[in-house]
Amino acid sequence: MDAVTSNVSVFLGGIAVSAEITAATFVLAFALGLLLATCRISPVLPLRAAAGLYVAVLRSIPLLVVLTLFVFGLPYVGLTYSLLWTAVTAMSLYWAAFFCEAVRSGIRSVPAGQIEAARALGFTFSQVLALVVLPQAVRVMVQPLANLLIAIVLNSSLAAAVGVTAELTGQTELLDQRYAQPLIIFGAAAVCYVALTFLIGRAAGFAERKVALH
Amino acid sequence: MRNSRRISIRRAAAALSLAALGAVAACSSQSTPVAAPVAKTGSSSAGHSSSGSPASANPGTGNVGAVNALIANEAPAPASAIAADAVAAKIRSSGTLVVGGVETAPLFSLLDPATGHVSGFDAGISQLLAKYITGKNSTKLVNVTADTREALLENHSVDVVVATYTITPARAKLVRFAGPYFEDGLGIAVRTGTTGITSAADLAGKTVVTESGSTIPTAVKAVAPTAKIQLFGTDAECVQALEQGRADAYVLDQGVLAGDALTNPGIKVLPAAFDEQPLGIGVPHNEPQFEAFVNTWLQKIESDGTWAKLWKATIGTAISGQTPVPPKVG
Amino acid sequence: MGARLKAAVRDERMLAPAAVAPAAAGGGGPRRGSSQHDNAVMLAALRRAIDPGPGATLFDQPGPRARRRIAIATVLALVVLGALVWAAARRFADYGQLSADKWAPFTQWPIIHYLLNGLVATLEVTVISGGIALAAGLFLALGRLSRTRLLRWPAALYVEVLRSVPLLLLIYAFLLGLPVIGLRLPLMWQLIWPIVATNSAILAEIFRAGVLSVDRGQTEAAQAIGLRYWPTMWHVVMPQAVRRVIPSLVSQVIRLLKDSTLGYVVSYQELLYAAGVLGQYNHAVLQCFLVAAFCYVIVNNILAAVARRLELRMTGSPS
Repeated sequence: MDAVTSNVSVFLGGIAVSAEITAATFVLAFALGLLLATCRISPVLPLRAAAGLYVAVLRSIPLLVVLTLFVFGLPYVGLTYSLLWTAVTAMSLYWAAFFCEAVRSGIRSVPAGQIEAARALGFTFSQVLALVVLPQAVRVMVQPLANLLIAIVLNSSLAAAVGVTAELTGQTELLDQRYAQPLIIFGAAAVCYVALTFLIGRAAGFAERKVALH
Repeated sequence: MRNSRRISIRRAAAALSLAALGAVAACSSQSTPVAAPVAKTGSSSAGHSSSGSPASANPGTGNVGAVNALIANEAPAPASAIAADAVAAKIRSSGTLVVGGVETAPLFSLLDPATGHVSGFDAGISQLLAKYITGKNSTKLVNVTADTREALLENHSVDVVVATYTITPARAKLVRFAGPYFEDGLGIAVRTGTTGITSAADLAGKTVVTESGSTIPTAVKAVAPTAKIQLFGTDAECVQALEQGRADAYVLDQGVLAGDALTNPGIKVLPAAFDEQPLGIGVPHNEPQFEAFVNTWLQKIESDGTWAKLWKATIGTAISGQTPVPPKVG
Repeated sequence: MGARLKAAVRDERMLAPAAVAPAAAGGGGPRRGSSQHDNAVMLAALRRAIDPGPGATLFDQPGPRARRRIAIATVLALVVLGALVWAAARRFADYGQLSADKWAPFTQWPIIHYLLNGLVATLEVTVISGGIALAAGLFLALGRLSRTRLLRWPAALYVEVLRSVPLLLLIYAFLLGLPVIGLRLPLMWQLIWPIVATNSAILAEIFRAGVLSVDRGQTEAAQAIGLRYWPTMWHVVMPQAVRRVIPSLVSQVIRLLKDSTLGYVVSYQELLYAAGVLGQYNHAVLQCFLVAAFCYVIVNNILAAVARRLELRMTGSPS
């Protein structure tokens, strides 16, 4: 037990790094996902095809393969930068595909009548999207986005697999190498992750109630 | 009628492709012989020894022909010695020595994926031991990392661990060590063309990469407290990190670094070494008799010159100079 | 509660590789006749491939000016995308990554054989873990739906906790923690049990969503004709529930396959690990990982196509 109580700072530091990775990934992936979703519903065929191909490919490759390619493969074509941001980039590109699908299903949930009414009022394509569709789509998207955020948090542990040992799982493993009390140490890490996902779930419920119609 | 034929043709095609996939899977799995008591993992070098790998372009394999000759010359243990130790007898009757090792350490234990042959100093030690116990060069390599070595020995998934396994008092509480079979020191590798780092003290303030699960971070901190440590899981990843500029220096056993420098012209090993790294053969904790058995064998190969010849054929191809004196066993 | 679970099932599909992309208007249609049905299937697949989606209603039929604008945008997009691809290829070539000696090993049978072994190992773990996780998930779902608190609470606790823990952490915990309590596992099972633990929790939620999505009227009708709880479950509810969630189940199995890449922790020789060893030996790291990624894309898309096919057959139309 003292392995945990005397090393609380290690756990907190790990949570901080994991949170940093998660937040950066979420923002980048959301932005890229929005862009991809726009491409996928645009009338320009090459954009649609390219975005469709991107999503199909990146959803069928394991995240660890993408991470490994970026961390160990990119330097072979001359692109080397900070390990943390390489991992974040790789994860953002991976999750963007899933965000694209979330946004698309959100858009699809908006009743066609809304869009037709907007067109009847003379809105252009971008005005329809920005003023009518997306605000309503957000209501449906809250739960899927929360699930994606939880998935990003849990998968941020894979950063430890490519050398970012500062995050929670990596720190836990190093701590266990020192103290050799795996059950307690990994149990404490599990509690941290459960707490994080619980918080996210709660926040999502709160947000959903906020944007609900009634 | 036409549609049902179309459907049945489609079904037949699907069935055929599934069968083809199954056939491919079957012949893939058949050609890696499985030792029944152990789960099917790793790659087996059973029966590949006498062929040896033909002039492979990879210098990390060392002098494979010479090693194979050594193994062929190794005499099997006398029956009395085997009978005296229960573990040795079990290995003898199963016919294969299950070795915990690595696959990507040049000059120590390097797997050629095309032939399935493992070559190097550590590999040679395990193959010689297998020949001694079972009478044929029959080893099964199970991949281990610094994190999994002790666990695999404890649950007897492997018979021995030969993986540049440094003997430390902390580890000696969990496993037994036969040997040491090699006295190594910690070396420093840097990118070719780096100036400014010539000894361990120069590591101050630099980013040093090393394998996780090793005792090296403490050793580095002891000589250069301000060094930043970056950890990766395997030797190959660390070499890549060094080459790609993610770290300024790579600290590991000098022998392994020499092998890496041989196969990666982008890095070089500094002559300076610090700390002592005696390498031992890991044996499960509850087998003191087997440890004594392996120690006896180690003393034999050290005294009859096999050890020196093995060193010459593997590590000696990269390091010029005299063959070192084998360490005192026990 | 049902809505939340429905959302969860929808999410499971979304998190899966392209298993069920809703077709544009005109989907599968009723089963008029076999050949017409096949044509309808092909048309639906074609539409899905292009899939204008809601874009079809987001803008009017383009008039002449809009058509011109779209044509210009198309050409521009083609030029930009082409330039991106060319720049990437040029970068690869400049750094010597397109040279023949790095790619030539992949035409040799021993290398292909070595990678195939890795692929077989991946598939092996997937099939075994998938089978056990499906059975365990089913039991957990039934437990969570049971009427007694004694079954409900432990099942709920297990599912909620194990859905919130990363698989990598679990694998380390099993690898390093089990020997401490004296449990010894062969190598493959050190990977399988953690995968089963997390995936059974997720599958339990999928099964539960399926059961809760079956109309209450079905249960009431079954009770009206005198069936007790378990016969109702067995004969009426479960068959319908399982049929509804089969696409989500297949998607989860695909995610399970992707989870197998974490086998490197226990040094299990699956495809990614094999590619790593091969790359380091031949000094062609980037190429080997790209080939491994390509294999994963192919295998997972085959599985996704199977899922789509299954769904078409089960429900008669894509959802």
